[in-house]
Amino acid sequence: MATEKTRSLKTFYWAWGILTVVGVVLSIWLPHRYMPSMMSNDGSLAMETTILFSILAAPVAAGVYASAFHTLRHYRYRGDGVPPAAEQVRENTKALVTWLTASAILTVFVLVWGLGALAAENSNSSGNPLVVTVTGQQWVWTFAYPGTHVVSDELYLPENREVEFRITSLDVTHGFWVANFGVQVDANPGVYTTIHTTPNKLGSFVVRCEQFCGLNHAFMEAIGHVVSPKQFSNWLASQPQRA
Amino acid sequence: MNRSKSLGVALASVLIGGGALALAGFALATATPHQTALQCVKSTTQAHTCSITLSTFPDSLEGAHGKGGGPHPDWVTYSNDNIDVPANTTVDVTIDQYDGGGPANNTYFDNVVGTNGGFDTVNGVKTTHVKNDLGHTWTLHAIPGNGKYLFISIPLPDNTSDKTPVKIGDGAYPKPIVVKFSFTTGGATVYNWNCEFPCGGSREGNGFGEAMSSFGYMSGTITVE
Repeated sequence: MATEKTRSLKTFYWAWGILTVVGVVLSIWLPHRYMPSMMSNDGSLAMETTILFSILAAPVAAGVYASAFHTLRHYRYRGDGVPPAAEQVRENTKALVTWLTASAILTVFVLVWGLGALAAENSNSSGNPLVVTVTGQQWVWTFAYPGTHVVSDELYLPENREVEFRITSLDVTHGFWVANFGVQVDANPGVYTTIHTTPNKLGSFVVRCEQFCGLNHAFMEAIGHVVSPKQFSNWLASQPQRA
Repeated sequence: MNRSKSLGVALASVLIGGGALALAGFALATATPHQTALQCVKSTTQAHTCSITLSTFPDSLEGAHGKGGGPHPDWVTYSNDNIDVPANTTVDVTIDQYDGGGPANNTYFDNVVGTNGGFDTVNGVKTTHVKNDLGHTWTLHAIPGNGKYLFISIPLPDNTSDKTPVKIGDGAYPKPIVVKFSFTTGGATVYNWNCEFPCGGSREGNGFGEAMSSFGYMSGTITVE
């Protein structure tokens, strides 16, 4: 015959299981619903990392919420006066070892995955990237293509060719952020910061500033396009020779 | 204190705190000076065309800052900040440039960008870029996805003339450089414009402070309606 304690623990495990399933479903659905369409290898990696980390966090978060509900339901004090001192649990080796082992495994996995993802984002794989100099200033972006005559307020990139962004600022710190590429780098005055990515999906995207940079920070957005290599060549050729 | 009383105190605290924040926000919003929007004047000869005239001044004695130049009479300013224009209309813009300047910090803004025909006229001469120093720029940029995409940048040449100053209101200014251009609006939306020449003061010395970092001087909006 089940005791009151085992019955209440059963409820806890059910709550933990159900909340974990809900967490896993949300971990998969929410990023696809609310993150932008990924248009580069790094963007896809950022999406995968977000989903994987959320799935791994789901049972942990579910355990915390299930414990909170369990404690509130079964151990809350209903009297008006000062509650009596609770029975203290000095040690529970099984719980301690389980908790520490699971935490260690999760943490090491997340660390290794994160370092791997970061290394992949920073790698220069092709050896012949398209270089684009990105200049931020209050409150616009301009994009220069070294080796050509082109400077533009729109960012055009060819599909499936690695791009090296060289990012700088002329005044304060700005933040070069293309959510669709999973790319986000500070633009610092007097410094060029380099990052690589490879656009792999045709379409348009928005370049935003993600560092608060003054009065019109909210308007500091530019439009970008990933086009076919032929369209990219045509666009370069069609750009006017500027001063 | 019993439970219901505690709950009441907590709720009252949240309501009073929220109310205080809302009041502070309202006070700040109403304290911000708003200029009357400049209306685009419809052409009597050409359909779907209107015109506006702006000026740039080296101080705020003239413009929309009130008698004596308002709180910062020595700040550089455009004559107007907010502008209303009709949708799907060609807007002819004239800018009378009264101010001096220096070299641009980004030579991209020496160029005329995004106008109808890709040029402007400076004192009647067709041009696509300014060879010498700039006084200011008039740079309009859209939020991508928010109406017709526009990026317009007009370099306003450095006005070095100091002969026979023209008296306008409380100020005296050199003969203006007259810059003209046109662009065409799409559907209803709001664009933001500002000067990209670092003409404001600043503690850091980059020129993007004071008039460049305050509403109503070197930036504004264009409301397409």
